[in-house]
Amino acid sequence: MKRLVLARRETPTRGGQPLAFLVGLVFALVVGAILLWITGDPVLDVYERMWDRSLGSQNTWSDTFNRAVPLALAGLAVSIAATMGLWNIGAEGQIMFGAIAATFVGRLLPDAPGLILIVAMLLAAAFGGALWSFGPAVARSEIGVSEIITTLMLTEVASRLIVYLEQGPWKDPDGFGFPGVTPRPDQAELGTLWERTHIGVLIALAVIIGFAWYLRRSVWGYELRIAGSSEKAAAYAGISVRRKVLGVLLVSGAVAGFAGGIELLTTTTGKLTVQISNGYGFAGIIVAALALMRPSGVAAVALAFGALQVGGQAIQTNPGVSPAVATILQGLVLFGAIGAAVFSTYRLRLVDRQVAES
Amino acid sequence: MTVPAVELDGIWKRFPGVIANSGANLTVRPGTVHAVLGENGAGKTTLMNCLAGVYRPDEGAVRLGGQELSFSSPADAIAAGVGMVHQEFRLVPTFTVAENVVLGAAPRIIDQGGIEASVADLAARFGFDADPARPVWQLSMGERQRVEILKALWRDANVLILDEPTAVLTPQEAVELGEVLRRMVAEGRSVIFISHKLDEVVSFCDEATVLRGGATVAASLSVAEVDASELAQLMVGDVAVEPVPVAVAMPGDPALTVDALSVRDARGLLAVDDVSLEVRSGEIVGIAGVAGNGQRALTDAIAGLEPVESGTITVMQHDVTSAPPQRRFRAGLAYVPEDRLGVGLAPKLPVTENAMMRAYRKLRRGPMLAWDDADQLTDQIIREFEVKIGSKDAPLASLSGGNLQRLLLGRELTGEPDILVASQPTRGLDVAGVRAIQRLIVQQRDNGTGVLMVSEDLDELLALADRILVMVEGRIVGEFDPRVATRADIGAAMIGGSDRSTRPDTEGVSS
Repeated sequence: MKRLVLARRETPTRGGQPLAFLVGLVFALVVGAILLWITGDPVLDVYERMWDRSLGSQNTWSDTFNRAVPLALAGLAVSIAATMGLWNIGAEGQIMFGAIAATFVGRLLPDAPGLILIVAMLLAAAFGGALWSFGPAVARSEIGVSEIITTLMLTEVASRLIVYLEQGPWKDPDGFGFPGVTPRPDQAELGTLWERTHIGVLIALAVIIGFAWYLRRSVWGYELRIAGSSEKAAAYAGISVRRKVLGVLLVSGAVAGFAGGIELLTTTTGKLTVQISNGYGFAGIIVAALALMRPSGVAAVALAFGALQVGGQAIQTNPGVSPAVATILQGLVLFGAIGAAVFSTYRLRLVDRQVAES
Repeated sequence: MTVPAVELDGIWKRFPGVIANSGANLTVRPGTVHAVLGENGAGKTTLMNCLAGVYRPDEGAVRLGGQELSFSSPADAIAAGVGMVHQEFRLVPTFTVAENVVLGAAPRIIDQGGIEASVADLAARFGFDADPARPVWQLSMGERQRVEILKALWRDANVLILDEPTAVLTPQEAVELGEVLRRMVAEGRSVIFISHKLDEVVSFCDEATVLRGGATVAASLSVAEVDASELAQLMVGDVAVEPVPVAVAMPGDPALTVDALSVRDARGLLAVDDVSLEVRSGEIVGIAGVAGNGQRALTDAIAGLEPVESGTITVMQHDVTSAPPQRRFRAGLAYVPEDRLGVGLAPKLPVTENAMMRAYRKLRRGPMLAWDDADQLTDQIIREFEVKIGSKDAPLASLSGGNLQRLLLGRELTGEPDILVASQPTRGLDVAGVRAIQRLIVQQRDNGTGVLMVSEDLDELLALADRILVMVEGRIVGEFDPRVATRADIGAAMIGGSDRSTRPDTEGVSS
């Protein structure tokens, strides 16, 4: 009697992960088509419009690039923490608090020159993100509280805080009585490169390349890798795991907060709202997972996800399909890619039943 | 003559590159505690895994109560009445004692109170003191072991295999275990007790089978009729290995001094108990002893990986008792830990990043590392110590065991240490690898380095060491001169025998 078993490959297939990602994308589109067919939507029309509005023309690339920025930065934040085996799943909240901190600086220096204000607000955003991860970082490094729970819960706190600011201390006096924060000063807006593509794309790319390089080549990055491989090995090499845990979570928070700053400086309304993070922090977890937690892979995955999201938004108005399709597709990509990635380290083998069991 | 409860007949089991069992036999009479003895690597655990359905023997027969059986999984073996308590427990920490006991063998609808009551009954029947409602994570290692035994009894195991059960027990717990085992055999069950501690075998067991090199060298000896030294002789054999040439030592000044050192383990027990020793430049001091007698805690404490309870550690006149590992390394202490992959090396990281683990602080250029220098350092280690690698950027785990150890030893030795502490440096290596590592260690000694070497291989210590200290239950119980001491003398000391030393005055040793 024969049966199928998964057998580990001697060496993982080279280039397995990009391939797995493509397989995941195809899987998502196929399953997505089935779902659209079940709900009675015009499958081809939907996909065509998603393509047109995300990658179909130079004009729409702008939206995709812009959308990829917060996704890539959030993915970078998650993957930095993951070099030590830590899960910062609260990037969402850190993005919000980064935007809060940037808004605070904007209110503090309403008449500062544009460039100075922009730099100050972005730095404040990074600082704010680090501040928002400070509690979880200390709790994790000093008494071992799981960062997964604390970072996630603080996301909720950050969103409540924005609601409070909208209705209370930062309420816009010119808002006709509606809740809402006063918009940032007009001069604090990131300019565009071409079409609607803003400078944030370049900044994000520089940040990602900088981190990928720094983590690979620096003392800090090396120590993180040792500390992440085993606590005993770290002690043997004379590295304090506690300090590394603290540092890596703060940096991860800072990167997420920075994304919040970029978002604030590029939104058309210029307003701090609960929607400022728009799920980027959570999508960033998927982005990082698909990039195998490597900062170098984050940008490519984020671009694909940016296209998916922008396309998903477009089909809302015409042909009038729920934008949830995009969210579902994102999840399906992850499913498909993780499933496919199994085969870069394992292969299927037909074996004799008895051998399989012994 | 009664039908044996267990008969293993001519068992062969081969793994890639290793023959674990080569025609091993075992016969266990019902109602007895039967010891399976042998040194590390003698094939005890593999043989028992063949009986417990974990492995399928390549050749040979497994008979229970006279009936030949073939297990294809542990579940088959359990159904046939064979239960095994592995060295690593297989319990769910968040479940209660009762839940763990019945896990996988519970009725479809679980009546919590009823199950707890019946587990309590079962425990009482065998003289266990166990609260069935307590979660397992709260229990000591000894208590967890009792849960494992209860698990087997719940499935009505007629044959219970215990793999080195006393390794995790305090002496008091070990005595209690002995009483439980007596109750089990009084009911007509059989117990197979794997061990390499002879004193336990003598006190707990009825019969003993000795394995060496994967085969049975003595079957079903009556423990009452042989003495411990005979068993020890059977275990270790009298194989003479061609020794690595060792010149006469020229010991110099003390390189490492350990004074009245005590270390507690994770359970709060004294793993190292008032140990004093001295290693001088240019000599190899060997530490002999059965595994788990505090050797690991001793070397980890010297290297700074384990906190010290009391006492002092001095490296080249520097007191390093509370110094971090890195400071000790700079003071001249190199360490080859027993756990190479988890402590000494990071298997997922590239070869280069492993090679620079000790020296990377010297490669700093501001916040960055000088990777060219790191590559040079790696090349130097690879060349000098003949490490065979594929690529320096490949994960370390792609190296073979012997090459891993060469890299580790090479890295530790590039700093030209004054004292090398090496724990089980040749364990698990093939013959060529063993010889290469041994030669390197002797070379270091000849260059004037002091060497403290822990080994479970007595032949190795007899061949290399200039002095041999014997460690039992965290204490140094004797010192031997390998030129005059015999295996039997040292073996007796290792099992806590009375003949403690070949030297009347145990200088440098206080116990």
